[in-house]
Amino acid sequence: MTKFKRIAVAALAVAILGVGVAAAQDAPQGNAPNGKRIYLADGCFTCHGRSGQGGAYNGPAPILAHTALPFDAFKSQLRNPSDDMPAYSGTVLSDQDIADIYAFVTGLPGKGSAKDIAILNN
Amino acid sequence: MSKRRRASDESRRNFLKGAGLVGAAGAAAAVTPPVTANAFPAASQQKLKAAVPGPRQIAAETMAPGADPVNQKTSGGDFMTDVLNSLGIEYMAINCASSYRGLHESIVNHGNNKPEIITCVHEDIAVHMAQGYAKIEGKPMAMACHGVVGLQHATMAMYNAWCDRVPVLVIGGNIMEADKRAPGAEWVHAGVDIGQIVREFTKWDDQPASLQHFAESAARAYKVATTPPMGPVFLALDAELQENPIPDPESLRIPKFSPVVPPQADSGAITAAAKMLVEAQNPVIVCDRLARTPSGMANLVALAETLQCAVIDNAGRMNFPSRHPLNQSFRRGIIAQADVILAIEMNDLWGTLTHFSDRIVRRSRPSTKPGAKIVTLGVRDLYLKANYQDFGRWQDVDLAIAGDGEASLPALTEAAKRLIDDGRKSAFADRGARLAKTHLAMVEQSKTDATIGWDSSPITTARMCAEVYDQIKDEDWSVVGTAIRLSWMHRLWDFKKPYQWNGGSGGAGVGYNLPASIGAALANKKHGRFTLAFGGDGDFMFNPGAVWTAAHHQIPILYIVHNNRAYHQEYMYLTAMAARLGRGVDKMDIGTTIKDPNIDYATVARGLGAHGEGPITDPKDLAPALKRAIAAVKAGGPAVVDVVTDPR
Repeated sequence: MTKFKRIAVAALAVAILGVGVAAAQDAPQGNAPNGKRIYLADGCFTCHGRSGQGGAYNGPAPILAHTALPFDAFKSQLRNPSDDMPAYSGTVLSDQDIADIYAFVTGLPGKGSAKDIAILNN
Repeated sequence: MSKRRRASDESRRNFLKGAGLVGAAGAAAAVTPPVTANAFPAASQQKLKAAVPGPRQIAAETMAPGADPVNQKTSGGDFMTDVLNSLGIEYMAINCASSYRGLHESIVNHGNNKPEIITCVHEDIAVHMAQGYAKIEGKPMAMACHGVVGLQHATMAMYNAWCDRVPVLVIGGNIMEADKRAPGAEWVHAGVDIGQIVREFTKWDDQPASLQHFAESAARAYKVATTPPMGPVFLALDAELQENPIPDPESLRIPKFSPVVPPQADSGAITAAAKMLVEAQNPVIVCDRLARTPSGMANLVALAETLQCAVIDNAGRMNFPSRHPLNQSFRRGIIAQADVILAIEMNDLWGTLTHFSDRIVRRSRPSTKPGAKIVTLGVRDLYLKANYQDFGRWQDVDLAIAGDGEASLPALTEAAKRLIDDGRKSAFADRGARLAKTHLAMVEQSKTDATIGWDSSPITTARMCAEVYDQIKDEDWSVVGTAIRLSWMHRLWDFKKPYQWNGGSGGAGVGYNLPASIGAALANKKHGRFTLAFGGDGDFMFNPGAVWTAAHHQIPILYIVHNNRAYHQEYMYLTAMAARLGRGVDKMDIGTTIKDPNIDYATVARGLGAHGEGPITDPKDLAPALKRAIAAVKAGGPAVVDVVTDPR
């Protein structure tokens, strides 16, 4: 099994078991499955991709999968974003919702090794 | 389309002669009216009668009508066909219409279908095909339509061609003389000045009143369209002129056509620009619609390599190889480090050099560092119009050079070479090495980024592009269309030949991509290239009938529908609006998505005569589907692959 596949399987297990994953020690406990639901329902995926792979809005939308962004910075970006990202206020996204989304995206498999994927080396 | 009543066999010139007699008779009421009874209506004739009819009047009213010929040996359309062929126009895309039936028939019979008629099911398709064709072939093709209703259908595509600075010869049939129009459709399909419909986004238009006038205007239209800055042109063609016999064939002459040599920039300005670039620490070249011939890319590579400077390509044309070490297109932050910026044939320079925020209060700030010098080279500003704002916001510059970018680059390169001493050569080499390193890092970063969600369904756009490239990389490929903000091709693929990229729509008018890609494929066909394009699902549904044209004319193209089941940019915009207001962010699929039911694009394609694959939701199914589709394309026809994708 490649490293990339191992990461993918581990992330899948996290998603299935609903285990909250926090990249930062001080992040509140989040519910990853509920975070995934919100991520898809509230439009996060439209810019950042269902796999958190990033995308584009008016400009590039950053990768969120396995983000190293601390929770506070993540929350701050949602509440008072830089650039053109919409601001999600407490009326549409509670602090707990943000914690759940954070748990979801930090649990997503991050980047793999391109060397393990032959067609990326053409 | 309407069926037009059979026109009078009387030539237009003869009619005008009769009308002149009527006028003279009206001026002197006592003069006996003309005997050409069919030259004016009965009511007018009544008005001109003397109280007691004379013998000629009586004869005119009682004699049998003159002969009513039912055959003719030539038509004005024959001459028009000869003129179009003299200009080297290979194709005429049409949606057939009675107002140019004369020309249509002449092309088919007199011209032996030369220019070749390309049958389209919508005028928007016909013009967009011509736009895509011109960018690959480097010359315009024609399209023909009804002058009023067809032209209105054509307007969106003409606007795209205008914004994209692409030559297209648009021909609209009209019936200029009111008394030659049949009741009904011919009146609602006629206009006094139909060119005004499109005048705001064409370079030039005319409504010729004679065949010689047509010949000269056709040559002028071609010349105007193909002279940088290029653009679409329009000719209104009178139906009588097309259909009736040629009254005086000996007097007609096909004009000698000589293309305009694109203007080179002033030599003094070139020297000044070269000095600024050579003396700069971090010069950056930005470009957009630069390359108009295969020489364009080579000329830009020569300048960039001479200076060993960064190039940021906005990809309006195939300007610069994607894997060239100096290509920094995905590292735009480098603009902030530039002390001299050379902007060549830019469409939106201000937008490229500015950070703009799409927030409640819209703010902007320069991306450039204070004191950075900006030099522009191009013809973009030499022809502007007032209403449509496609010229973009004013940008302060330090040196603005009027001249065709491609034509002026060799002189600029030579001027720069003359100024580079050995010391600079060494510094330039170091700069080039640093840029090469960052370029390589960007490529590796892109590959790594592409791994995220590799096995996901819906399929990531990175996986989609990688799978396609794996299958076509050894072909003589030409990718001629893309979906909005789909950048993976330029991040992952090795673009290095002048025909491997065809730019975008110009006006961002949806509906461009599918027909323009097929038009580009038409141009590629005779060169034996493998044409492919990506396109959004929303764009596909504006002009799905274009697939039938590709099937009918056996135009080989692999068309991959990037099917995110949404007008996705609008989905994001709507979410931003709701978030701004703190409400309903979970309802933004209303009016922005294309689902319930999902459209089956493969079935649509098969119904239009093409090979269809999909919908493909599992990435593992993509490679086999592509193989089958590529085989169908190599067999000579179009193939559509519906890939259900993640948004971007």
